Amino acid sequence: MIDLIKKLTEAYGPSGREEEVHNLILQELEDHIDGYKFDNVGNLLVWKTGSSGKKVLFDAHADEIGLVVTNIDEKGFLRVESVGGVPPHSYVGHRVRFSNVVGVIYVEGETEEERKKNFTNLNLDNMFVDIGAKSREEAMKLTPIGSFGVYDSYFYRNGDLLISKSMDDRIGCAIIVEIFKRIGKPHNTIIGTFTVQEEVGLVGASVAAYTLVPDVCIAVDVTDSSDYPKSFKRHSMMLGKGPAIKIKDRASISNRNIVEKLVETAEQQKIPYQMEVLTFGGTNAAVLQKTRSGIPSATVSIATRYVHSPSETVSLNDVENTVELLINYAGKGV
Amino acid sequence: MYLKELTELDGVSGNEQQVRDFINQRIKDKVDDLRVDVLGNLIAYKKGTKGRRKIVLAAHMDEVGFMVTNIEEDGTLAFSPVGGVETQVMPGKVVRINGKTIGVIGYKAIHIQDKESLLKPLSVEQLRIYIGAKSKEEASKQVKIGDYVAFTTAFDQENGRVTGKAFDDRAGCSVLMDLIEKNDRYEDDLYFAFVVQEEVGLRGSAVVVEQIHPDIVIVIEGTTAGDDPELPEYQWATHLGDGPAVTFMHRGYVVNKKIYEAILNVAVKYSIPHQAKRRTAGGTDAARFARTGAGTAAGVVSVPSRYIHSPVSMIDLNDYNNAVLLLQKILEEGEAFAR
Repeated sequence: MIDLIKKLTEAYGPSGREEEVHNLILQELEDHIDGYKFDNVGNLLVWKTGSSGKKVLFDAHADEIGLVVTNIDEKGFLRVESVGGVPPHSYVGHRVRFSNVVGVIYVEGETEEERKKNFTNLNLDNMFVDIGAKSREEAMKLTPIGSFGVYDSYFYRNGDLLISKSMDDRIGCAIIVEIFKRIGKPHNTIIGTFTVQEEVGLVGASVAAYTLVPDVCIAVDVTDSSDYPKSFKRHSMMLGKGPAIKIKDRASISNRNIVEKLVETAEQQKIPYQMEVLTFGGTNAAVLQKTRSGIPSATVSIATRYVHSPSETVSLNDVENTVELLINYAGKGV
Repeated sequence: MYLKELTELDGVSGNEQQVRDFINQRIKDKVDDLRVDVLGNLIAYKKGTKGRRKIVLAAHMDEVGFMVTNIEEDGTLAFSPVGGVETQVMPGKVVRINGKTIGVIGYKAIHIQDKESLLKPLSVEQLRIYIGAKSKEEASKQVKIGDYVAFTTAFDQENGRVTGKAFDDRAGCSVLMDLIEKNDRYEDDLYFAFVVQEEVGLRGSAVVVEQIHPDIVIVIEGTTAGDDPELPEYQWATHLGDGPAVTFMHRGYVVNKKIYEAILNVAVKYSIPHQAKRRTAGGTDAARFARTGAGTAAGVVSVPSRYIHSPVSMIDLNDYNNAVLLLQKILEEGEAFAR
């Protein structure tokens, strides 16, 4: 599974440009699914048919945060804006990868004072990207206005900790792929959705459940952990304590029956788990539950350090336990 | 082109009746079907020669404005913005209440202000509309709480550039009407959606996808120019005169890649001037079309407009005409478009 996580997190897939991620997932799932399709907005839907007549949907978003080119100057330097919640500080002196070129991001400043000011109030408006082009024409060929970029970062394993860009939410994608690989003949039909454009406003998930009409939806996504120095003190989530069963975040409240069934499943199977109340943020569950006339929905999260940075960090044990929990949950009556 | 007629009508969000009636009258004999849905969207239909795909062209009829929230004892009106209007552009402007009563948004004369208050940003709570009434009783004969308030700017034209209010999005409405007037048939089934309540949160557009199940939606907008000479060029959103703007991303939505590229390809193929919309702030109904019902692939083509969401905006007629031309060519491509 580590190879799978490495491949998926290193893939290029900013919001609206998820093709590479989708193709990887389809390759991985060959022979493990009964069918797949792309819907009107480009979500990848896969399924394995069960015998109960009931349908469980697991969702992970395929996209990651990034940058988009909005302007190119006469010397070939780029101006960018953020795609999703990109913290500008993560980019200073760091690299951004476009589909066919890598650039360096730095900060303007014509005097010491101005540079200092720009470094303390980082804003993409006074930052630029250097892709090595020598003119506007050259840059336009490499990265035309409207080109999307992502962190240029790579996967690294530190014992139980896995570090990479875009664990948010490729770790969810990896977990769902693994579920399909490990499950034989399911009791309930299992639907996997690898949705687009979550980071810009839950776009793909708003319509992902429309065509297949599942009985329950579970979003699998990352959540902020509070186990590093001076981390958020009002939260309880920690790496290594198992899948986090979400009760509430700012965008949704998990369906109570699903939460209880998840807890019961974890207890029965002796799978470690933790409960999650997040005081900010939101997942695709917020919109999945509003599909058609409503679908009971919940979120299972992977506690993650440094969310939206180039080095999002998760625990391999948590990932394994999440796969086990969801496989066992999917086998139960809905 | 109906820019003059359309921009001189009042149609603040939720009160689009005048605009809807005007469009309805002008287009009803030129389309195969016409209906007004539950939320007030006007949807016209033209059957295609092949009819294997459904394309929706959408523009919103509403504009930003105000609503009367209270009638004060002294006969002045307290009000609240409907949609995003910056407080700094309100004072000293003439407004029309409920389509008839003229008023002025009052402003403390410069003579009686001190330096500090001049520099302080205003809040809408400090402002009143004056209609010349001397008492609550007198004012109540002309206006009531909940009345809509719109800017009154007359349309004007000079040097190929036109000024008026509400080019966002009467420009889009006019583009759609021009396309209907061409009276051509195209391969795809065509729907023209004149939607309501965009400015208060993309509301009218939320029920269109479920009624039509379109394959493609193209939103036509009057969008921000922001080509302010005080700003560096790389901070401009669009530039007047450089052609219609094509959006790759805006708030809440990355434009479907296939649609974005297909629009650019048509512009290049027919050498139609065009530009990328170069800021991602602000949203359009495309975000709503993409995420309602079963979803749809949506694109955005805009007429660059200076000073939108204020009493007066300005567009370049070449940009407008090229927007009409670009959309016409897109439709003429028929099933080859965005294949």
